[in-house]
Amino acid sequence: MINKSKWINTLPDTSLKNDEEINKLDYEKWTNTVPKKNSYDSIKKYSLVSILFVSGLLLVSIVKNETRSLQKEINKLEVSINVINFNLEQAILDNEVITSPENISLLAREHLNKELIFYKRSQIKKLDSKNEKFTKINITKDGKTNKKKIGDLKKSLKLKISEKFNNEKNSIKKIYSDPKTIPKNVKKKITSKIQAKKDEIKSLYDQPQEVLASKRVTKWGAIQLVKAFIGIPIVPGR
Amino acid sequence: MKNKKKSFYFKDYTESEFTNKKNNINFIKISLGRVTFLSFIFFSLMLIFSIKIIYLSLSQQKIFNITNLKNEIPKNRRDIVDRNGSVLATNVILYDVGVRPQLLKEKEKKNLLIKLGILFPELNLNLIKKKLNKEKFFSVGKRLAPKDKDEFWLMGNKAFVFDPKPSRIYPQKNLFSHILGQTNDANQGISGVEKFFDKNLSNKDKLNFSLNLTLDSNLQYLIREELINAKSNFNNIGSGALLMDVENGEILSLVSLPDYDLNQRRAINDNIYTNKITHGVYELGSVFKTFTIAAGLENRVIKSKTIFENLENSLTCDKYKISEHDKLPTNLNVEQILVRSSNIGSVRIAQKVGIENYKNFLNSLKLFEKISFELEEVGVPLSLKWGKCKLATASFGHGITTTPLQLARAYAILGNGGYEVQPFMLKDKIKSNKLGKQIISTKTSEAINLMLRKVVSLSEGTANFADIEGYEVGGKTGTAVKYGSNLKLNTFISLFPASKPKYVLLVMLDEPKAAPNFVYNMPPTKKFPKGYKYKGETRNTSGWNTVVVAGKIIEKIGPILAINDLQALKNF
Repeated sequence: MINKSKWINTLPDTSLKNDEEINKLDYEKWTNTVPKKNSYDSIKKYSLVSILFVSGLLLVSIVKNETRSLQKEINKLEVSINVINFNLEQAILDNEVITSPENISLLAREHLNKELIFYKRSQIKKLDSKNEKFTKINITKDGKTNKKKIGDLKKSLKLKISEKFNNEKNSIKKIYSDPKTIPKNVKKKITSKIQAKKDEIKSLYDQPQEVLASKRVTKWGAIQLVKAFIGIPIVPGR
Repeated sequence: MKNKKKSFYFKDYTESEFTNKKNNINFIKISLGRVTFLSFIFFSLMLIFSIKIIYLSLSQQKIFNITNLKNEIPKNRRDIVDRNGSVLATNVILYDVGVRPQLLKEKEKKNLLIKLGILFPELNLNLIKKKLNKEKFFSVGKRLAPKDKDEFWLMGNKAFVFDPKPSRIYPQKNLFSHILGQTNDANQGISGVEKFFDKNLSNKDKLNFSLNLTLDSNLQYLIREELINAKSNFNNIGSGALLMDVENGEILSLVSLPDYDLNQRRAINDNIYTNKITHGVYELGSVFKTFTIAAGLENRVIKSKTIFENLENSLTCDKYKISEHDKLPTNLNVEQILVRSSNIGSVRIAQKVGIENYKNFLNSLKLFEKISFELEEVGVPLSLKWGKCKLATASFGHGITTTPLQLARAYAILGNGGYEVQPFMLKDKIKSNKLGKQIISTKTSEAINLMLRKVVSLSEGTANFADIEGYEVGGKTGTAVKYGSNLKLNTFISLFPASKPKYVLLVMLDEPKAAPNFVYNMPPTKKFPKGYKYKGETRNTSGWNTVVVAGKIIEKIGPILAINDLQALKNF
């Protein structure tokens, strides 16, 4: 059963019903006065920030992973550099020990002739005799100065040179005094030279006109004429 | 007014827009609360992640570099090299190997002992056995090379502890022991150059740059070899040699025997290991006669040809008898006094010079004050009380002490034209170290050089064995008798080439003996123009041992010095 009174009581008053139109409320008027909560915008902002943050984090992690792998690569290279450096230092150390004077002289003793290990100054070169101070100070055991020694050296050198020169001269003389001793090829050369000269002289005497007509002679004649004309003394030939 | 929704039961009742909106707002309120909560959690997580990322970013270096540390050599000391760049001292990683017996069971201990016995027979197994049972930790090997360390490591025993340590190593072993000195376990210098330049050597900014010395390994080796040979010939207990440039004072070689292997790291306490050149203070004998004559020339009381007539063969001063070492002519000029090394002649010259002048002259050569040198081991000459007798004995080098290094410097001053020089070993100083102020006149210097040359070149001179062809060696012998004994200290100091000295070489033999079995190559004479062999000499003076050694040294090092010196090459 429906309880009518329950529902009747709920009905609005008649007086009110009559004044409904009068007391009608303008909802728009009141709702406009309620402060608008911009909740939608704030959510938008939050989500945007969080998206940015998350994407930033992702980016960071990606960059970090990349740098990590790069760093690993760098570290590997550094380790290999260290290993190479270590090996290099070891090699240098080995080299120092192997090339130490002690080791070298030990090897030299084993493999070289003793004479070759050390060399004396006399094996290098003679002293500079121009050094006056040296000649002044370097006194021989007999008490004589080196100047005298050097003078003697010069004399002996001169003697040696002149001796050589004389020897050469004598040998040439010997060869020419006894033509039989001259070798055949030398003889041939000399005879051909003599023959050529002979032919030249012969042609000069046989045909003097040809010689005079030659360009060189005419040129020379012209120059002599000009010289005579100017008054420069004429010199036969150069 | 428009009604959006009608009541289900009543036609006249309409649901206003207002009520609808109100419901919407409530819905949003609930949602915002949830979103805020979720955001809080989200941001909290983000914060944690961010902190973690920042932490990782900051600690990244440490984490990644662990791998590097394994192979990196923690260099904490600069290398030392000679003038040619040869390494004299460098760093390596050596390992200390220890054992922790607590980590081993009884069976394992036995196994370890067996393995150690097989692999390292040099180890004292009984001692290790005791230590295994008693101690918590003990060492089985110190300063082991990586190879030796690997042998322990390959045993795979958990009780082994390896401690890598940067250590100093000396590839030339004994060659520079008295110069380089040693370092302690912490790699800090405790003697020699290692101590003197300790701060410089451990300067972190310069670790990749080596410390360059003026020394030459080749010269050092040749000189040391000759000194070692001298020991077998003359049976001396020790020896020393110094090669120095007279113009700038750079030390090319400094040898003191006996020496020791620097890599062995043992405590060197015996006096015999003293650096004889820089630390030893000695009475050096007749080498002082040169100073006596130089003082006379400088004070213009004598000339080279001044003759001293009627010289006695001996004289007495207080209780002390001064005599000649040999029979000498009674009339000698100044030059002959030096050439024949006359004690009485030197006394007469010193008397002419006078105490004050002689003292001032020796002081100007700084023979009695502590020399400033780049080693910790530097000796201090004994102080003197000057008097008439002291002047007499000092004139021929007795009763007067100095270090061989100071003697060499004084000779360098006499040889270079009279300019002050300061010995040094640091190569950087070569450019800056020019000739100092002039102490002695050039005239005196030239006269002394000529006289020193005659000591070597004239047959009556005391140093004929050092007359090596082509090097114009000049020098003076010194034979001193050690106080309270008959043992001798023989010295020969030479300048070469005498016309313009470039190097000073000092050779010293400590307690040499006469060598009757030694075959001397006698210099040429009129009878024997090519020289001759001689055996059976019983005299034990500098001329018969130190000079021979010096001659051999000059013969060997001469070509190297000439090759290294471009100016000398030009003169060829």
